[in-house]
Amino acid sequence: MRHYVLRRVIATAPVVLIVALFVFSLLYLAPGDPAAIIAGDQATAADLERIRHTLGFDRPFLVRFGDWLWQIAQGDFGTSIFTNMPVMKMIGQRVEPTLSLMAITMIIAVAVAVPTGVVAAVNANSVLDRAIMTCGVLGFSIPIFVVGYLLAYLFALRLNWLPVQGYTPLSEGVGPWLANLLLPSLALGSANIALIARTTRSAMLEVLNQDYIRTARAKGIGQMRILFLHALKNAAIPILTVVGISVALLIGGAVVTETVFAIPGIGRLTVDAVLRRDYPVIQAVVFLFSVVYVLVNLTIDLLYTLVDPRVRY
Amino acid sequence: MAILEVEGLKVHFRTGAEAVRAVDDVSFSLVRGETLAIVGESGSGKSVTANAVMRLLPRAQTRVAGAIRFDGRDLMALPERSMAQLRGDRIGMVFQEPMTSLNPVLSIGTQITETLRRHKGLTMRAALDRAVEMLAAVGISEPGRRIAEYPHQLSGGMRQRVMIAIAICCDPDILIADEPTTALDVTIQAQILDLLAELKRRTGTSIIFITHDLGVVAEIADRILVMYAGRKIEESATSDLFEQPMHPYTRGLLASMPRLRGGSDAGPARLHEIPGLIPLQSFGAAGCNFAERCVRAEAVCRENSPPPLLVRPGHMSACHFSDIGTASS
Amino acid sequence: MTALRHPAIAIGGGLVLGMVAIALLAPWLGTIDPTQIAPAARTRAPSAEHWFGTDMLGRDLYSRVLYGTRVSLVVGFTVALLTSAIGTAIGLTSGALPRLDDIIMRVMDGIMSVPPILLAIALMTLTRGSIGNVIIAITFAEAPRMSRIVRGVVLVLREQSYVDAAITAGSPTPVILWRHVLPNALAPIIVQASYVSASAMIVEAILSFLGAGTPTSTPSWGNIMAEGRSLWQVKPFIVFFPAVFLSLAVFAVNLLGDGLRDALDPRVAKKA
Repeated sequence: MRHYVLRRVIATAPVVLIVALFVFSLLYLAPGDPAAIIAGDQATAADLERIRHTLGFDRPFLVRFGDWLWQIAQGDFGTSIFTNMPVMKMIGQRVEPTLSLMAITMIIAVAVAVPTGVVAAVNANSVLDRAIMTCGVLGFSIPIFVVGYLLAYLFALRLNWLPVQGYTPLSEGVGPWLANLLLPSLALGSANIALIARTTRSAMLEVLNQDYIRTARAKGIGQMRILFLHALKNAAIPILTVVGISVALLIGGAVVTETVFAIPGIGRLTVDAVLRRDYPVIQAVVFLFSVVYVLVNLTIDLLYTLVDPRVRY
Repeated sequence: MAILEVEGLKVHFRTGAEAVRAVDDVSFSLVRGETLAIVGESGSGKSVTANAVMRLLPRAQTRVAGAIRFDGRDLMALPERSMAQLRGDRIGMVFQEPMTSLNPVLSIGTQITETLRRHKGLTMRAALDRAVEMLAAVGISEPGRRIAEYPHQLSGGMRQRVMIAIAICCDPDILIADEPTTALDVTIQAQILDLLAELKRRTGTSIIFITHDLGVVAEIADRILVMYAGRKIEESATSDLFEQPMHPYTRGLLASMPRLRGGSDAGPARLHEIPGLIPLQSFGAAGCNFAERCVRAEAVCRENSPPPLLVRPGHMSACHFSDIGTASS
Repeated sequence: MTALRHPAIAIGGGLVLGMVAIALLAPWLGTIDPTQIAPAARTRAPSAEHWFGTDMLGRDLYSRVLYGTRVSLVVGFTVALLTSAIGTAIGLTSGALPRLDDIIMRVMDGIMSVPPILLAIALMTLTRGSIGNVIIAITFAEAPRMSRIVRGVVLVLREQSYVDAAITAGSPTPVILWRHVLPNALAPIIVQASYVSASAMIVEAILSFLGAGTPTSTPSWGNIMAEGRSLWQVKPFIVFFPAVFLSLAVFAVNLLGDGLRDALDPRVAKKA
């Protein structure tokens, strides 16, 4: 078992390296001349030179890459072209809202989607099932920001149950913190809920047809235990896999959700940076989020062993 | 005293526009302590009968009629909750496929103890101890270690022993074994049969043993019930059946058993067979449902369903020519 | 008859065709020039004259939304096409050449570790905003997944005996790929392509919404919503109409994809 864990952890290192290489290379892969675009139409030759130097175009690729890696390892993500502040500091200021949003979203998503999927599977092909599945396709299709506006319009503007936008730090109380995060989490999670519910349903359907479920019934085990222990534990692997994929959706969607709900997180930072073409910020955000995603996938891999004893070898 | 009485059991499966009478008016009873074997080829309805007794048949597109009395109570009238309480506690069941009948992600210990805790209300500690006892009783070595292991770490024979342990851990009145040895190789088969005989001797559990293999039941069954295309066509004590089979189908089955010494000086005998498979139209046929494949069939067979004739005390056969039968080899 | 057996394909396909019709026939569906500014008629609510109302520059929203259909469909379709072509090429190469396979797939995994929207955002930061660049950026993000799928098909087929026979008979690899592998890969490619086009439409809308996608000179659902952002609490209709169209389009394509998947997957098709 320890071998498996060790192997997985070690296998992650080259992936991170490749991600780093790829993210770094984007600068060189973009069509056209990035330096000119960043400098803008109004730029003077001196500005252009400054930008080229900041981006490292005046040095060989590998040298620059090596430097960049070394700096990252020390937590130095460069300086923002626009604000001249260290990028790391800018990101640090915005971490809490984004992390809160993502955490609440995932918790709500799993808590809603898994039982829904189980219900759909148990009542397969019934009206309830079809209704749930259609809602699923809708949830997956309606873009996050549309859902966001819909929820905000209905629950905040019209019904006044929740604040329309903004963020309250956790330090000011759990209640207000949650109140600000509820609508954005539902919006951000809509696609995830649909995806996870669908996968739960199909995994459960396959499991419920297995012989060992018949054995459990022949033993007189209660329906709840059969569903949520005997069946779900077997369905867990594909469900965990799709939860991992959802996190990627989450990261991308956070950018939009923070914009709709005016949450001062990393997503907003990214949007501002895009408009100002502040590439060092973008580069840092992309790299960091990618690493987060890789680590999430690693965690999922390790969680597999908790769920299925056959995976330990 | 009968622990189980099945009266007029009918199971109809609806496929498309038609309904197949998988079990067609079957009746039998099981006395305490006896082992009844239900024998028939694939598709004869024997497994369906067993599943009907346990009320484990799928609910969709299935109709079940008739009475099933367990210890005086009509199982058909019980609400599902009460039935679930009986299952695993008073009636245990062992299935055919040991490789897939155990839950791969739960430990052996969990799968045994959960039955004990559900039906007997034992504490975890007490349940674990009893589970270890049960594993030892079914002949598994190092039971204390096996408790923590998972199904994929056990061989097919061992998994079947675990299944048996689970089925009997609550001391059920009836054990239903649905082809428990079919998926195992011959040496393991013999071991499992010995195990069942031993358990029966020790605890006096009544057993319903379902199989297509007459050789297997010769050893452990007190009575044999032969099924064909959903109907009961012969029933008698074991020795009686082997010595004087009445129904042409039963005779065919006995003749088909491979013998070590067959034939004459002219050379080894060709293996006897009953030609063909059970044709679909045999189910629910107007006349005798074996008429299609019977070597002795006459016009009366196709028109009239043969009544169950009591040929001898304790020996019934559903054939128009039962009393004319002579023992043939 | 076929429509009844596959309602998803019928409904999804029908909606998609409807959208295509709107895109092609936009000039004749009661629209005016979508870029025409009329400062006097700013942010009017929907009325008989302006069916969807007007935006902050007085432009007719109905016309803008209808013309916006073109952008989404072009992006969706082109990305699907490019992704299929590039993804298939990479997938076939990787599956057919085991020595390169490891490296190629590791690079693909690396690219797939970057959340697609972030990737698209990064590329858009570095390039001039245009539909073409949006298409390139999204294709970049979606191609690796397609390559994985095609590679998977190649790996499975490599084990099949008829492919083995062809190899032994000396058929050159490209011929084997073309004649044996590609037809079998077609179904999963088509299904994935439909999901990709839905995803592309969403990503383009998001990019435009954030101001990093289609430049505002060309109306797209995303940038119409972007312009309506600041006013949405008082004039929600500016955001509402493009949102409905976008949702409908994505829903239609997803439904179509689901239907195609159910129809083309041999296991599911047999049950139906």
